[in-house]
Amino acid sequence: MAALGSFALLIALALAAYNLLAGTIALRLIATGTPARISPERLADTARRAGIAGFYAVTAAAFALVWSAFANDFSITYIVEHSNRALPAPYKFAALWSGQEGSLLLWAWLLGTYGFVLRLRHKTDVKLYAYAGTILAGIQVFFLLILNFAAPPFALLKGTIPDDGNGLNPLLQYPEMVIHPPMLYLGYVGFSVPFAFALGALMMRYPGEKWIHITRAWTMATWLFLTCGIFLGMRWAYAVLGWGGYWGWDPVENASFMPWLTGTAFLHSVMMQERRGMMKSWNVWLIFSTFLLTMLGTLLTRAGLVSSVHAFAQSSIGTWFYVFMGIVLAICIFTYIYQRGHLKTEHHLESLVSRESSFLFNNLVLLTACFVILWGTLFPILSEYVQGTKVTVGAPFYNRVAIPIGLFLLFLTGVGPLLPWRATSFKSIRRNFVLPVIALWATVIVCLAVGVRPWVNGAFSSGNFYALVAFAVGVAVFVAVLSEFLRGAHVIARQTGRNLLSATWLLTRRNTRRYGGYIVHIGVVVVVLGLAGSAFNRNVESEMGVHDAMHIGPYTLECTGFTQDSNANYDSEYAILNVTKGGKTLFQMTPEKRAYHLGGGDQPQTMVAIHSVPMWDLYVVYEGMNPDTGQPIIKAFLNPLVGWIWAGLVIMVLGTLIALAPSLSPATAALRVPVARQVAPEVALKGGD
Amino acid sequence: MTETEGLIAGLLLLFALVVYTFWPENAFASQKEKTRLDFLLERKEQLYENLRDLNFEHRAGKYPEEDFQTQRALLEKETADLLAEIDRLQQA
Repeated sequence: MAALGSFALLIALALAAYNLLAGTIALRLIATGTPARISPERLADTARRAGIAGFYAVTAAAFALVWSAFANDFSITYIVEHSNRALPAPYKFAALWSGQEGSLLLWAWLLGTYGFVLRLRHKTDVKLYAYAGTILAGIQVFFLLILNFAAPPFALLKGTIPDDGNGLNPLLQYPEMVIHPPMLYLGYVGFSVPFAFALGALMMRYPGEKWIHITRAWTMATWLFLTCGIFLGMRWAYAVLGWGGYWGWDPVENASFMPWLTGTAFLHSVMMQERRGMMKSWNVWLIFSTFLLTMLGTLLTRAGLVSSVHAFAQSSIGTWFYVFMGIVLAICIFTYIYQRGHLKTEHHLESLVSRESSFLFNNLVLLTACFVILWGTLFPILSEYVQGTKVTVGAPFYNRVAIPIGLFLLFLTGVGPLLPWRATSFKSIRRNFVLPVIALWATVIVCLAVGVRPWVNGAFSSGNFYALVAFAVGVAVFVAVLSEFLRGAHVIARQTGRNLLSATWLLTRRNTRRYGGYIVHIGVVVVVLGLAGSAFNRNVESEMGVHDAMHIGPYTLECTGFTQDSNANYDSEYAILNVTKGGKTLFQMTPEKRAYHLGGGDQPQTMVAIHSVPMWDLYVVYEGMNPDTGQPIIKAFLNPLVGWIWAGLVIMVLGTLIALAPSLSPATAALRVPVARQVAPEVALKGGD
Repeated sequence: MTETEGLIAGLLLLFALVVYTFWPENAFASQKEKTRLDFLLERKEQLYENLRDLNFEHRAGKYPEEDFQTQRALLEKETADLLAEIDRLQQA
């Protein structure tokens, strides 16, 4: 299989290079109208087919690597380093992305898959798709060059072939880890598509904004994948690392979060371009930045640029990435400068209080957050370069900046939908904001009454204060979004005689994008409430012998025994804890410690026991034996509202899926457009030149 | 799979993909250049959608009457200008 895999990668490189070269020549010939011996359209079509053929070649290579893992082909270095005979089947599949070479192959395969779908749909807009396909081919050439010459996944082992491999990194042997990296990569790679369309549209001076309409589904689906990938990563960190948290501002976490921030900004501001022809340059740079940040994310994860629990590779492919990112940036800057006349705005901001301005603020806040995170992530590298010593920025720095920014964003999440386009009057503001403001202050009063106060023992607590603000603003945003649904549903109910529930459903189907988006906003509120719960985390740690008990919140944990187990992959040791509440036995928990035979057996891995209810998570870690006393150590956490984070993700997914669904055809518009007047060319609408 | 078998499989793959890429195909897709008229027709749809949204939000009680009339007049003027230009280009 190694020979087939290597050969397939070479074929894929040749095809991608042909796609890039022939596509560029054909588009140049079409643009300049230069006569040629071969029809430029025919040449462009062979380039497109080469892109499709390249997908088959990369698929063959990916198949060869997975097959080699399942066949225990230890003549391949990558398989020796990332698999072993006893590895369960799902994790053998995960071997494809557990190491650097494999994950780069996954990148190339996903890019090939996106390109395959894009090229099959080329009849939507042949020329624009030809530009986008050629740009994607350029990106594919880069990854295939690395795979063929810098990080070959099918490199053969020198010397004697071992009977067994080194096994998969134990941190990766967890169910979420089977889907987290592909999700994240689907997000990373997916942003190549809107990037390619945006760059292509700018290169060809595409008339109008239809390219945004074409890429809308791509962008939303990509954003959804990245969102799921980030949350699955949080879930993995929560359940595997055993520190009771889910987000530690680790550089690799940050690397996935930054393109999410700029991608979210793009999803919002692009609506202004579609509706009003505004923010064209801004949007182009947002998507350029998002693509470059996905590259930076891949670089951070794969090149070992920064220390991280998530960076599973250390290598020298960084230079390739620097060069590629430099070339991409240069092309973006050159194209922008050369074609910037095409990006003139058709309208200007008419009022600081309007839907447009709320999008603008939303964008500025998202970009500020992105810049702060980028600064903190790269600070160790910059400080080493400037001072000679690596200074790492910790979670307090990020929390100090990111929490207020996040709360302001949450506020805008509620304000935006209430503001009309163009401009709004004070009367309109008063009319739309009454309910949310009442909800906000009512929540503050309720929170203070039930004990959520911004002070602890008389001293101000920033954590509690932010939690109080998050609860109050979250409820206000929820009420704002709900009122948007109810207002619209009432109109439809009046028009059609339907009940309110049925009218809400019809309302959503009539404008899936808007109301799907509102559901995503509700999901964001639920996530933020879940995050705010962390201000009230509690934990206890104690040595526990059999029949010893510990108390946390309303629960009593009684140890009924310790036991050991063993299988072909690992040995495990776990505690058996009976959990009671008010003297009544509720359930049993078994926190575990595993020692894998291969792939890092010297470092035991934690398997946390989690019991989740809407109010909180009871999270129990078996920390192993105290070497001095021989007693097992148990650490228990009571983490309020963590389940809301995962529930919020489900709502966000649902909202995005609704937004992706096509809307029902619009009802007959009650237009009252005056008879068309003859207008002079100089006063004609701007844009679309 | 031995190395020789792998190489043979690779050569077969290469042959199939080269044939697919360069197979003489006369019915490849092409399209006419997008004109300003095409752009304006797209823009017309967007303006109609903006008007529909405005009407709906007004009926939903989001706009006070005077705000609605102002916004509607602005959008209608924009639409009228656009329709006029479409008309001029179609007659040309």
